Amino acid sequence: MAKVRILPDRVANQIAAGEVIERPAAVVKELVENALDAGATRIQVEFRHGGRSLMRIEDNGSGMSRDDALLALERHATSKISAAADLDSLASYGFRGEALPSIASVSRFELQTREAGSDVGSEILVNGGKFVHVRDCGRPVGTRIEVTHLFNSVPARRKFLKTDQTEAAHIVQCVRLYALACPRTAFTLIEEGRIVFRSPECSTLAERIAEIFGRQTAESLAPIEAAEPGLRLSGLIGRPGIGRATRHEMIVFVNARPVDSRTLNYAIIESYHESLPKGRYPLAFVFFECDPAAVDVNVHPAKREVRFRSEPQVRSFVIRSVLQRLRELGGGPESGLRRPDGFQAVPAPLAASQATLPGRAATVVAAVPFSSSAPVVSKPPPPAASPSHPVSAIHHPQSPAPPAPAWRFLGLAHGNYVLFETSAGLVLLDRRAAHERVWFERLRDQFRVGAVPSQRLLLPIPLELDPIAAALLVDRLKFLAAHGFDVGEFGRNFFRIEALPTWMEPGDAEPFLRDLIGAFRDGRLPEKNADLAREELARIAAAKAIRLPDNASEAESRALVAQLFATPTPLASPAGRPTYIELNHGELARRFHK
Amino acid sequence: MKFKINRDHFANGLAQVLNVVGSKATMPILSNVLIEAEKDQISLTTTNLDLGIRCKIKAEVKETGSVTLPVKRLAGIVRELPNVDVTLDAAPNHQVKLTSGGSTFRIMGIGKEEFPPLPEFGDEKAHALEQSELATMLKSVAYAQSSDETRYILNGVYFNFKDGKLSLVATDGRRLALIAKEMEIPADGSGAIILPAKTVGELTRLLDKGAKVKINFNDRRAAFQIATDKDTSGLIDHVYLYSKVVEGNYPNYQQVIPKETHQRIKLERELLLQCVHRAALVCSEKSNSVKIKLSSNLLEITAQSPDFGEAHESMAIGYSGPDLQVAFNPTFIMDPLRALAKDEVFFEVKDEVSPGVFKTLENFVCVIMPVRLS
Repeated sequence: MAKVRILPDRVANQIAAGEVIERPAAVVKELVENALDAGATRIQVEFRHGGRSLMRIEDNGSGMSRDDALLALERHATSKISAAADLDSLASYGFRGEALPSIASVSRFELQTREAGSDVGSEILVNGGKFVHVRDCGRPVGTRIEVTHLFNSVPARRKFLKTDQTEAAHIVQCVRLYALACPRTAFTLIEEGRIVFRSPECSTLAERIAEIFGRQTAESLAPIEAAEPGLRLSGLIGRPGIGRATRHEMIVFVNARPVDSRTLNYAIIESYHESLPKGRYPLAFVFFECDPAAVDVNVHPAKREVRFRSEPQVRSFVIRSVLQRLRELGGGPESGLRRPDGFQAVPAPLAASQATLPGRAATVVAAVPFSSSAPVVSKPPPPAASPSHPVSAIHHPQSPAPPAPAWRFLGLAHGNYVLFETSAGLVLLDRRAAHERVWFERLRDQFRVGAVPSQRLLLPIPLELDPIAAALLVDRLKFLAAHGFDVGEFGRNFFRIEALPTWMEPGDAEPFLRDLIGAFRDGRLPEKNADLAREELARIAAAKAIRLPDNASEAESRALVAQLFATPTPLASPAGRPTYIELNHGELARRFHK
Repeated sequence: MKFKINRDHFANGLAQVLNVVGSKATMPILSNVLIEAEKDQISLTTTNLDLGIRCKIKAEVKETGSVTLPVKRLAGIVRELPNVDVTLDAAPNHQVKLTSGGSTFRIMGIGKEEFPPLPEFGDEKAHALEQSELATMLKSVAYAQSSDETRYILNGVYFNFKDGKLSLVATDGRRLALIAKEMEIPADGSGAIILPAKTVGELTRLLDKGAKVKINFNDRRAAFQIATDKDTSGLIDHVYLYSKVVEGNYPNYQQVIPKETHQRIKLERELLLQCVHRAALVCSEKSNSVKIKLSSNLLEITAQSPDFGEAHESMAIGYSGPDLQVAFNPTFIMDPLRALAKDEVFFEVKDEVSPGVFKTLENFVCVIMPVRLS
């Protein structure tokens, strides 16, 4: 007997199931995608026991005829593509034709469907890959698929399932993603007969986010919209300073498909470098659209990963757009400046910018590369009345600094938080963070211009280092000298600090240089990239070496606010911590149960 | 304890000792003043353990005894009393009755037992000076003390009694001021202390009460007896100021004072001060320096800040050396000029990286380090 043989279909399907159907959530994903591909406007997902005992997906899409339905259960049978070339211009979620037979081979699979034209629907039952029956049934137009006893026929996989709660969480997350991707489709998710969420057809993404993630999350977002020939970015991103401990609320869609794209994720995280503390992740619900030919989704069986033809281009486009938007958002606080009416509402440009958003239609259009006339980033309304600025600069052409917002000083709490009354509510300013931001900008400017005044010391400060640190320092003496530190070698592993930047107290010099050498060691001040090194130096200096003045009178606090808002990104300290928090009227009323 | 006292004398006495108490004392007793009545005087004492002051005021003592009272409140009350005659009567339970004209206050005090006593000095090293002279000397150097707590050694004025002179030195690591005075120093009287900045402030304030001030010190502490023979507002005997000293080795200041003179210019103190002051008006936190340019018989001072503008001042001087230019922190120039009283000062410079030195004919030297644009 031949040793090599072709496996029966059932076995082949079970093997394919191992790739596509790794857990119950994968079933939900495949079936929801099918429903969306069928043009459904209403989808209901129900499951029990983390999907182990029941998953039922019902839609009002186009449905199938009996023959189509039977054929759909064969491997590589699909209505979505017909030739290999179609893979280059995919506009549907599915294309492999593997999902249905794979699911059917590892569960009890019941399919009911009716096409618009036919009188009766068809019901097909497959159990563990074995065909049981096909018969007439009554049902409205659309399809309902019920998957029960998942993995009953593959006990090995059943054993590897996590707890019901974990699997349920995966299903919920999966349905959320698709609900976000298609705000115009109504979604209902039911677990154990209890509604997890129900979202009617929403006209905008913001409404959908509010439905699924809550009003608070929706309020901390701002719309973004940017386009370049062939690339387009839209959606909502978190305001600077608002972050999360995990990246679960950083959701990226490529051509309306929820994906895990390292390129996009890292580009977004990087853009928030200055707006969030280390270890915090931004909020983002971002739709990235590009020519389907420029992206390969056929990388991962479950299509979680995508690859771009030109990653650097995508990356730089995303970073540029997000940074630009963050700068605009950082340009001024909502209070006082932008919203004299004093109420924080969903920003107005949102509705307009969402009009062209996700949904299926957009994806189909995406097949055509965007013309260069696509809308660019929406400009925020100009800041209110900017007083005529005295023309003073002799050396620098100066753009008028934005006026400090009309905040009323109330007092100082715990020596560190300055309390202001604003037209929108109350503001608590963290003096330290604000001070750091002001100084960071100051030092960065100084470093950029290259004019760093350096105060020579009367009593040089000795610095003794271990050999590695000494070697690192020797290599960077020039860099330090250019930034105001005159450090001279004074014997083996022994140095003398002869001059310091004028902003530094002599007493801080030694600990600061030690910290700096630590940063050299960690490679945080790359030798080759002087700009990056300068920026990092300014960051460390602003955080560690600049002294916060002890007292904070009203005049000083006002001056600090004015200086803060003269910086390009006043909302966060250079380390990304928020510089102030705002309690708006709504929040105050809520706290007082008004 | 019971005594009758003149309100203004009492208020003046309290004002002498008031500054010592901190606002947030960890021991409540330290925010109190110890009042002791004996014969025809009362003594007032406050301390924060590092620094203590005691003064004596004449009073009509009817019953001797002692009590401690919260000093800030008490001083506030005494100042406002309606009548010049004030009677203070302390009951054994430390409740104090204060009467003056038609007003009566009852104040809760604490017993003397908890009050830490001021250490008295025996035969430590002792010196005597004129009060006005010491005050001038302190003023000439005190501005150069460091306020940076991480370099606590420099948070004070160094008193060095040695080789027939007393030198006072202060530095913050970027500038140094020194003034010396010749005096007789016996062999066993030489030594040095670092007097903490807070004590320097209190001492300067107290030094106008009379002719002489006596200094006692050892390695750990110092005491000043300030005679009050000039004062007419009730103070008698002397004010006693006790202080711990900063323990540690003061940097070797001799080696940072340039030995050679390169270019020496004679300057009118007031004029230079005004010019630098005006030029510094354009300085900002970002660029806090003024440039001094010397050319033939001309001194120019310029300052600029990138986001404001620039200033230019010029002064005619007698100078024939090479052209040179050097920048300084304007505060470093103005501080010694303000503290001095002489009309003329000498300024010595060499080049843009070497220190600038102010000198007077009275053994005064102030070394200031330049600022350089890299």
